[in-house]
Order: sequence, then C-alpha cells, then structure tokens
Amino acid sequence: MKKIFQPFATINRQTVMIMMAVQVVITLLLWHTLSDGLIPKPGKVAGALVQLLGSKLLFDNVLVSLLLTLKAMLYSILITLLFAYLSVLPFFKSLAQFIVKCRYLTLAGLIFVFTLLTKDGSELKLSLLVFGIVPFFVTSFLSVIVNINQQEYELCKTLGYNNWQTLYEVIIIGKADQVFEILRQNFAISWLMITMVEGLSMSEGGIGTLLIKYNKYNDLTNVLALQLVIFTIGLCFDYLLGTLRHWLFPYSRLKQAKA
Amino acid sequence: MTQHTKEEAILQVSNVALTYDRPILRDINFCIRNIVRPGFSQGQVVTLIGRSGIGKTQLFKILSGLQQPTSGQVTIHDNQPVKAGDMGVIFQNYYLFEWRTVHQSLLLAAKKNKALAGKEKQTIDEYAEQFHLTEHLGLYPNQLSGGQRQRVSIMQQLLKGSNFILLDEPFSGLDVCMLDKAVELLLQVSLSDDLKTLIIVSHDIETSVAISDTVFILGTEPGMAGATIKKEIDLIDRDLAWQKGIKQEKRFLETIEEIKGYL
Repeated sequence: MKKIFQPFATINRQTVMIMMAVQVVITLLLWHTLSDGLIPKPGKVAGALVQLLGSKLLFDNVLVSLLLTLKAMLYSILITLLFAYLSVLPFFKSLAQFIVKCRYLTLAGLIFVFTLLTKDGSELKLSLLVFGIVPFFVTSFLSVIVNINQQEYELCKTLGYNNWQTLYEVIIIGKADQVFEILRQNFAISWLMITMVEGLSMSEGGIGTLLIKYNKYNDLTNVLALQLVIFTIGLCFDYLLGTLRHWLFPYSRLKQAKA
Repeated sequence: MTQHTKEEAILQVSNVALTYDRPILRDINFCIRNIVRPGFSQGQVVTLIGRSGIGKTQLFKILSGLQQPTSGQVTIHDNQPVKAGDMGVIFQNYYLFEWRTVHQSLLLAAKKNKALAGKEKQTIDEYAEQFHLTEHLGLYPNQLSGGQRQRVSIMQQLLKGSNFILLDEPFSGLDVCMLDKAVELLLQVSLSDDLKTLIIVSHDIETSVAISDTVFILGTEPGMAGATIKKEIDLIDRDLAWQKGIKQEKRFLETIEEIKGYL
C-alpha cells in the first residue's frame, strides 16, 4: 500500500488494475454525488450511451467521421513524409521549418479561403483537417530526425554509404517504426479536429455534427454519452496503432522494453 | 628478437592538428609499416594510449576519416588521403543498426565488399560459425549481450573487407572472462591476413600492450597546448610482441611502468 505513494516504485500489474478500478469508482461516486440538476448523473449518461450504441444513427455517423479521419491521416502522413525526408536537403529545410511554424495558425480565420479553394463540403473538411494535422505531424517527425544518434550516421559512413544511401538506411528504413508512433500520438489531434470541421459542413453527418446538434438543444446527457464514444474510439485507435507498430517492426518492442 | 622485417608504409599520419576553441591535437606524426614475419600471416596491431580526455576519440575519428583535421593528413594505400569508409570502425559501445537483425547488418556490410560478390550469405555463415554467432543471426542488437554485439561489430567490419580496423576502447566495460575472449578474437583477426592492421585506441594499458607490436603514447608536453605523440615504443624490438602470457614477465611490467611515466 505504501509503495503506491513512493517515487519511482514498481508495482505489479494486478495492483495497477485494482488501483485503476478504485480510482474509476471514486470518480463515478464523486460525479454522482456532486452532479446537480444541470449535469446528468452517471447512471443517466450510461442509459443514454446504451441507447445510442443500439441506434443506427451513431453507427452511421461514427463511420462517416472515421472514414474522413483515416483519409485525412493518410494524406497527412504522405505529405509529412515527403517534407520530412526532403528536409535533409538544404533547399527544402526552410520549407519544412515553415510548416512546423504553421502550428500557430488558427483554422478559424482560414475557413473562408479554404471554402473558395474547394468545390464541396467534403473537400473542405478534408483539406481543413489535413492543413490542421500536417504541421503537428511534421513537427514530430522532424524532432525524430534531429534526435537521431550521430553514431547511426557514422556507422553508415564507415560502411562506405554515400549520403543518399545514408538517408535511405537511417531515416527512411531506420525510422519507419516512428511513423506509426507519430500517427498514434497525433491521432488525438485529428480526432479532436474532426468534431470542429464537421460542424462547418453538416450535410454528410458525422459525430461532430451529432455533437453540435445535441449541444444546440442542451441535451447534455447525450453529449456526454457521445463524448464517451469518442473517447473509447480514440483509445481503441491508440491501442491498434501501437499493436500494429510492434507487429510490423518487432524491434520497436525491444527498444521500448530496454528503455 | 623474433625474426621479422618492416616493409612499406601502409598508413602515414603527417602533421595532423585539430583545433576547436583551443588546440586539441598538434604535430601528430607516425607511420605504420607492413610487418613481415616468415612463416606467419602476421598483421599489425598498433595501440594509441593516452589519458581520458586527451583527444584519443578525436584522433580516432580523424584516422577513420569521420572527421577532417584542421591541418595535416592521414594517408593510406599509395599516399591516398583516408576517407570515411576506407577503415573498418568499431565504436566503443559496438553500435549496430537496431532495426536490422544481425544477419541483415552483416549482409549490408558484405554487399559493400566486391570480393564477396555472389557469396555473401555463404561467407556470413562461415564467419558466424567462427565467431559462435550462428544461433544469433536472426536476433536484433537489443537482444544481444555486450560480448555478442562486439563480435557482430567486428564481423561486420571484417565482411566489409577493409584491411584497417580501428577500435575505440574495445576493452572498456568487459568483465574478466569477456576481456580474455576479446583479446583472443583480436589476435585471431590480426593473424587472418598479412595486411590486416588493428589500431586500438585505449586507456587500458596492460591489455592493449599485451597484444600490440607498436605503442604510440598520446600526451601533452609542458608549455605546449594540445596533445601529441610523445613516444613510440617498438614492442618487437623489446621482444614483447606476439608472446602469450607476456603480462607476467618482468620486462613487460617495466614497459608498462615506462608508459605510465609518459602519461
């Protein structure tokens, strides 16, 4: 018992599970006790969640959002890899660094520009998502490149590799597993943005649209139930991408275990 | 004294200096000659000894072509300036690509060796057997012990086909058992080819001197900034080279004391 309050103490898996279960129960009890008339009690939210899970409405909207997110992630990672790999060429370095700084641009001010540049709502949502995600992806990947161990380059040189072969071995092949880690870490950003961009063009639906509709009618019970769905899907993707990374690149598991 | 002749220069270091915000190395001059020993395929084993922080790693990088000196040059093979890739290099922590299995790493090196064209896999298998690594070919570096990593690093550089192998502190962090094995392995490599040349950069005086034929001592001189070669000791002339169990002999211990005096 003492151990769980000691710095850097190692606790077994069973203790972690029990501790987490206790924390969840405490949170639910606090929520139940402290919620007044405006904030729905956990039982009510759970009921709405069960109802929502049984409806075709949720399935259809989640599917729309997931497809849009996956499409945006695919385009974003392709653009990111292109600029990140090119960033080792001095000509493209400044361009990659500019993309990194684009994190500070707010989408709200650019929606009209994007509306003019795209032909329909679907394209608008996709381009906004890609524009919002790419700077974060590029930032993460450039940080991976900057932190590459100097010995990786030196080993290439001692093996007689030229600069292009070094780029291929150290960055493209050597950091392929990191692409999945970046996807996993930044999936949250795309998932966060999806609810925002779906509010801009509501014709195709999506969880963002659904959330805005519930919010509009102050249906806080369904808003919280939907938030639970969004949260769970996010966790599932986090797990899925992590598992996929370890399966495709077995050495990443060893690296993690050693760390 | 063991019968031998010193033939052509195979590596020449001329007036090498390295300066950052202050001089690190200055006036580094030495030459490694091909030693011919009748009846033996005897390579060269040279040790560069110096205190920690004296500039050994910088000299190591200059010799391997990974770093350009501020002035001077290192030449090999008919006066050609050394460039990265000419030397086999084994880093202190036996660095290997962590995303490649042992076999993949070795194959990358073997493919760089034109003499092995078409028989890379066969050669890897032969080396793996010789180095007791056959069962580890499918493993990743993170699954290997320190000793196994060292053997893979040495194999990788041997497969690359360079006659020169530079080793940065090859004995640091090894336990007594592993140390003996590492020494045996290096001797085995030095005897594999007449032109095979091991250049060991180390501060482990006893172990390095016991397997070397020549020692260069890197140190500073009073009133002069930057390290230089203070002394060259020909261990063959002293009848200390190529002898097993030399560590217990009085003349070896006297040489060690002499070296320590220069540091």
